[in-house]
Amino acid sequence: MFPIIIQGLLLSGLYALIAMGFMLIFSIGRTLNLAYGAYLMIGGYVYFWISQQLGFPQIVGFFGAIAVGILMGLMKHQFIVRPLKGHHVAVEISTLILAVVLQAGIVLVFGDSSKILLPIVPGVVRVAGATVTYSILTATIISWLIITILYLFVRRTHTGRAMQAVSMDQKGAAISGVDADRINLITWGLSGALGAIGGAFFASYTQLSPAMWVTPLIISVAIVIVGGIGSIVGTLIVAHIIGFLEVIVVSVLAPELRGVSTMLLIIVVLIARPQGLFGRAEN
Amino acid sequence: MELRQRHLAFWAIFIVGLYLMPELVSKGTLRTMIFACYLAIFAVSWDLLSGRTGYISFGHPFLIGIGAYTTAILTKRFDVAVEISIPIAVLVTMIGGLVVLLPALRIKGSYFALVTLAFMELMYQLVQVIRPDLTGGTRGMSGIETLTRGAVNGYYLAVTLMVILTFAAWLLMRTRLGTALWAVGMNEESVRGSGLSSTKLKMFAFLASAFTAGIGGAFYVHYLGSIAPRALFDINFLFTILVAALIGGAGSIIGPVFGAFFLVFLLEWLRPWLPGAERYFIYGGIALLVYMYQPKGMVAILESLYSRFWRARS
Repeated sequence: MFPIIIQGLLLSGLYALIAMGFMLIFSIGRTLNLAYGAYLMIGGYVYFWISQQLGFPQIVGFFGAIAVGILMGLMKHQFIVRPLKGHHVAVEISTLILAVVLQAGIVLVFGDSSKILLPIVPGVVRVAGATVTYSILTATIISWLIITILYLFVRRTHTGRAMQAVSMDQKGAAISGVDADRINLITWGLSGALGAIGGAFFASYTQLSPAMWVTPLIISVAIVIVGGIGSIVGTLIVAHIIGFLEVIVVSVLAPELRGVSTMLLIIVVLIARPQGLFGRAEN
Repeated sequence: MELRQRHLAFWAIFIVGLYLMPELVSKGTLRTMIFACYLAIFAVSWDLLSGRTGYISFGHPFLIGIGAYTTAILTKRFDVAVEISIPIAVLVTMIGGLVVLLPALRIKGSYFALVTLAFMELMYQLVQVIRPDLTGGTRGMSGIETLTRGAVNGYYLAVTLMVILTFAAWLLMRTRLGTALWAVGMNEESVRGSGLSSTKLKMFAFLASAFTAGIGGAFYVHYLGSIAPRALFDINFLFTILVAALIGGAGSIIGPVFGAFFLVFLLEWLRPWLPGAERYFIYGGIALLVYMYQPKGMVAILESLYSRFWRARS
């Protein structure tokens, strides 16, 4: 029992971190950024390259990953989302194509084989019968820290409130003097940064491989869709539902069924309650 | 009228050319063309479901996989004759099409795309776990009965299938039904307002698509002789189908065929320089550029070039 709770909490923390960046984009433009998984992949690889292949300190690796993530987010907004003028299906298809292109780019640079990332913080601690690596513990703590900061940022700062306004009603926000374009740009940058950090931790949890972007993408999609649009708390809760479901399925049923609960949740929730469990209804 | 005759002549030459190919090119190129034919069938199938209705399917490998796995299991594990197993596979795929239809009754756009993606990933995981003695689990199956021997025969079969299916789909989309499907994609409420049942229209599109996917998947697995979950229920496979249909021109039936051949040959031409998965870097890059420049695909680009050329001359 205890191991399940502890593993569940840790995994859910990681998933919440991964999903946050995706949620931001989705709530502000209603566009599903299917290249989001590629941010994670590239964040992971940049961290690997700087800290493990070039031998710089880890913190440099993190900042490098964040910088690349922000850059990618901004570029994607400028060159793909803006020209397509928020045409949802077009954005989804082009970001999916972009994700495959980036995957091929990673193969081109780093090769096809998967790479093992050294633990971000080495060491293991045993808590109530569960083996917990310091790495995933750090990931969870940092994830909670980031989520708290993000929550305060969205709720308390002017820019954060403007983001909320844009996510509710673009025109209304524009009338109240919010520059929607600037807010969009900030959000895409922020989402890139969050994705890159999440990627470094996710890669240390699993491994680095050119195909690693698919799983976190589907998890983020599930969390955001089930959680509903624009709700940080909803995202957090659903990250825990999905994390716990996965841990329970893996430890009680079979490890091969890892992702099945997530898929079923997406299908059932979307069919039964298209606006998600915690989101506001769309017109 | 003259324009139409010229079109007909063009297509006749094209089809005759396709059938003459084995005399002209090497076996290796022929195998490439076989893959292009099957990809064209899959892309046409995608186009039937998504091209006009606006219900973008991200789970097409789900349908193709059902067809392929059904016939593979029936022939390999139960020694059913191919003549019986393929029709059964097509029927089962059509049931799969109805499963995909269910979410489409309530949700559309991005959400529908995601549900279909979830279907595909679900299938990928389930195939490996449920009855691995039947499906072959993670490693899949090999030694499945093949219908033809050698590249030439395989090619004739693939081309014939592609020409028949494409022509049937094209004829179908020229009827008022095809127009009604465009209307579903533009505004479902007004379709319902004009007294048509959008549910029936959608059901028709989904079943037609599943039918094509089932035939394509079943014949493809009997051409390859092997099947594996990661080769089938894979985002890269989905990507290839999607890009073939979109780069060619979604909604036009002919476009996806064109796109499939273009992409398969592009991949082959790139092989000497980039042997592995890196090829997708250029291939995807081209697809992205074309899609950003003209979402209606290359057929639309060619048409506008053609008409500009025509206007310049007159």
